[in-house]
Amino acid sequence: MAPEHSDMPVVSLRSLVKVYDTGEAPFTALKAVDLDVYSGEFVGIIGKSGSGKTTLINMITGIDHPTSGEVVVGGTPVHALGENALAKWRGRTVGVVFQFFQLLPTLTVLENVLLPMDFCSTYPLRERVPRAMDLLERVELADQAHKLPATLSGGQQQRAAIARAMANDPPIIAADEPTGNLDSKTAEAVFGMFERLVEQRKTIIMVTHDNDLAGRVRRALHVADGEIVEERIHRERHMG
Amino acid sequence: MSPRWRKVVRDLSLHWFRTVLVVLSIVIGIFAVGVMLGGREILLREFDADHAASIPANVTYRTDDFGDDLVARAGDEPWVSAAQARRSATFRYRRDGADEKRTITLEAFREFDDISVAKVVPAGKDGWPPANGEVVLESSALQVTGYAVGDVLSVERADGEIVELTVAGFAHDINSMPAQFAGYETGYVSFETMTSLGESDSYNRLSLTLADEGISWAAASRFAIDLRERLFEPEGLRVYHTEVPEPGSHFLGDIFSALSLLLVALGGLSLGLSAFLVINTVSSLMAQQVRQVGIMKSIGGSARQLEWLYVVMVGIYGVLAVAIGLPATAAGTRWFTDFAAEILNFRVASYTTPAWVVVVEVAVGLAVPLLAAAVPIRRGTRMSVVTALNATGVGGKHFGHTVVDRALGMIRGLPRPVALSLRNTFLRKGRLALTLSTLVLASGVVMAVWSVQASIERTISDLETWWNYDAEVDFAVPLDAASVEAAVEDVDGVAASETWPVFGATVVHADGSENESFVIVGLDPDTDFVGPTLVEGRWLTGEGPDGIVINTDARDSEPSFSVGSTVTLRVLGQERSWPIVGVVRGQMGGPAIYCDAGLMAEAAGIPGVTRLLVRGEDSDAESEQALLTDVEERLSEAGLQASATRTRADLAGQLREWLGILVAFLVLMAALIATVGVIGLTGTMSINVMESTREIGVMRATGAQHGAIYRIYVTEGATVGAIAWFFGALASYPLSTTLVRALEGAIGMPLTYAFSWSGVFTWLALMLAISSAASLAPAFRASRVSVRDAIAYE
Repeated sequence: MAPEHSDMPVVSLRSLVKVYDTGEAPFTALKAVDLDVYSGEFVGIIGKSGSGKTTLINMITGIDHPTSGEVVVGGTPVHALGENALAKWRGRTVGVVFQFFQLLPTLTVLENVLLPMDFCSTYPLRERVPRAMDLLERVELADQAHKLPATLSGGQQQRAAIARAMANDPPIIAADEPTGNLDSKTAEAVFGMFERLVEQRKTIIMVTHDNDLAGRVRRALHVADGEIVEERIHRERHMG
Repeated sequence: MSPRWRKVVRDLSLHWFRTVLVVLSIVIGIFAVGVMLGGREILLREFDADHAASIPANVTYRTDDFGDDLVARAGDEPWVSAAQARRSATFRYRRDGADEKRTITLEAFREFDDISVAKVVPAGKDGWPPANGEVVLESSALQVTGYAVGDVLSVERADGEIVELTVAGFAHDINSMPAQFAGYETGYVSFETMTSLGESDSYNRLSLTLADEGISWAAASRFAIDLRERLFEPEGLRVYHTEVPEPGSHFLGDIFSALSLLLVALGGLSLGLSAFLVINTVSSLMAQQVRQVGIMKSIGGSARQLEWLYVVMVGIYGVLAVAIGLPATAAGTRWFTDFAAEILNFRVASYTTPAWVVVVEVAVGLAVPLLAAAVPIRRGTRMSVVTALNATGVGGKHFGHTVVDRALGMIRGLPRPVALSLRNTFLRKGRLALTLSTLVLASGVVMAVWSVQASIERTISDLETWWNYDAEVDFAVPLDAASVEAAVEDVDGVAASETWPVFGATVVHADGSENESFVIVGLDPDTDFVGPTLVEGRWLTGEGPDGIVINTDARDSEPSFSVGSTVTLRVLGQERSWPIVGVVRGQMGGPAIYCDAGLMAEAAGIPGVTRLLVRGEDSDAESEQALLTDVEERLSEAGLQASATRTRADLAGQLREWLGILVAFLVLMAALIATVGVIGLTGTMSINVMESTREIGVMRATGAQHGAIYRIYVTEGATVGAIAWFFGALASYPLSTTLVRALEGAIGMPLTYAFSWSGVFTWLALMLAISSAASLAPAFRASRVSVRDAIAYE
């Protein structure tokens, strides 16, 4: 059976440790984690609350810094980048989707999608609006493009957030509990979008505590007490 | 427009309430600083301009009657650039049948439209020049009472006959003492009218300007003496008084320096206050934006891009504030200048604010917010994404770790909403510190101003102890003491009377210059008609060869005056050296010298007394006036014509008018500063409550009703107000003592310091009311939001 990914991992974590200073006893959220994720993979990170799964995805996106260890994404040593370089790198390389959508409340849906292109200057000005509208078409929100986020349902906001994450056409989408705040029907629709992105050779890393969804990803990593304690590969679904 | 700049515009327009608060905070800062500094500059400039345009006299002689030939000879003197003569005389009058008599000084010119020195400017064309039987009043008379054109003044001639004069108009004379301070009005009449009042058709006052504009006071004084000897004495004319003011000076100079000092001091404090206010508001704004910063960084926004975003946002606040603040400040300054000009009796030709003040206003509007925002913007945009996304505001997430938090946690038995309010107050310690800094400073200044006002009031009370009599009557010519005392001894209500010789005194300097600013009062050293407050040295003893005692006004107007020094005085033409043995506090009535009447008679010979003091049985203002009316009538019957009269209430009233200017300005400025503080508090409480919208949603979801939510936030506001009041009260003591000491220096008179406890407690009540109200409005707004929206609030 041919491998579904190239030989070079797009995400490589080595001996990754994260310790939080809580003011009382230090709390170790990640304990020497090693992980490789390959291009085109749909990876689910599963675990209970406080297990370290969000910390793990924050390390991959550069949203948080490791206490020790290495994070290399797309050949870039993320752990060594400063905040400014990280922002630029993240804008082009990783699309981030949050549980609570995190759309900017004073920008319309279209403007929220345009914003990453604006920050990273990734497309010529004249191409940005057509591209953003195309992304919104893909998430079936073109008719909501000029509305403010507060007027949209949770599912619509999350679809807008996915469109925003795709704005700069990043190779990796990192989603932290993207369906955690949605009803099952909407969650299914959002998950379907991720599946379509995987078909377009995007790498999806998704944190979830939903075992049903976890069972549908290509590769499920079970995190407990700051360690990856189990890894399951679900070939049949993605093999078709 | 790119999305990030659209975000700036939307943040400004969609959060319009916050935008209004921030802009208003900056506007009030611009306004306070601009009005105080601009007002000060315009007042000083316009007063100087009005004074200079009047061509003030360098030398003024009060003399026996003289004619045009002497004026012409004075004008031909090479040192003299202009000579102007007038006749001046003081009368008693009644207005339109009023019971009370007042005093008026009338001045007559030959050519009203050609006054070359100490110009009088008509307020309009009506009534100018005054025709026979008409009088044009100096406009400060309007400050005393509402005179109107057509009013009739019944003026009493020296022989007791009444001449009716009609008020024909008003004129402005910056060189005339304003009526509210002088206790008498000034009016302008034709020579025809003057003669109808029993005066001669000649001059008795000559004013000169000197050709050398940069002449020193000493040189001007020597010239004045020389000219007096050459011009008047050969004609056998007596010169009663030679006035040589410090070139360019004005009799309101002390008040102006005090005002100027107050305006600078309070302008500086306003600047500090508005800076705190802006820092506070902008910090709050950044705290609200931290989560959005995290989002933008997570999708590729660099720290530099975000810094620019917020710099532009704060810049727009500044531009809006400047756009509103500059015209508002110009209007405020204009109002303030008019208010001051009316009180101080000068005309404002231009309201143009000096360029440097506009630069300061723009700096307050633009630079201060940007500087204030620099640190919070940098901190916010450099924060790691994870910290920013989890941010809860300034210091909000660490509650429970400090000693204060633990102490608050240990307080037991409080109702739950009160306990929550107390803990909420200390939840955002950074914000609390900033809010308190603004409020403590504002509270400190307001309470300090109250103490300065109390000190002025206490000083006035202290000064009133000088007058241990109820009325005084001045005579234009010296009279026999026994005749005067005999005339009033059986007037009903007179308990005691005393007569004083009061004459002009000239200090003769070794360099030949003279200072004629003084009156010398001869009295019985044991008199109980005055209660001197000694500032230095001792009072007169009446034993052996005694010296003189000067008042603080005299000490300040003559450099050679100090306790222990000996000065040469010329009184009634006789020179004698006197040791100065003491300094007493003056009543702002001008420089005075006190000596034993017996010694005065020995030194100069006394032709009679010029002042009668009467003590009555009752000391209220009405009784004093009734007593004075009876005394004046009896004197008139005895052929002893008074030239001026004052009750103790009048004297104290004049004092209050003088110092009241400072009080009026202090109150005005304190109100302005209090407004800055109140707007700051309202803004902060609004932002605090806005940030707590989510918590309000949670509380309502768990059953809290509107009333409970109001109580929580009103208690929080009141707690902040009470803390600010406490530290403000502590700060107000050093602030008020500093202000009082500085004012003493400016007005040249010691003030009695009084700490205003009533001000402190009034401010507590106001502070609690204001801080509660400041919280109530935003809490009301927040409580109207649905639970769902409140919980989802960003």
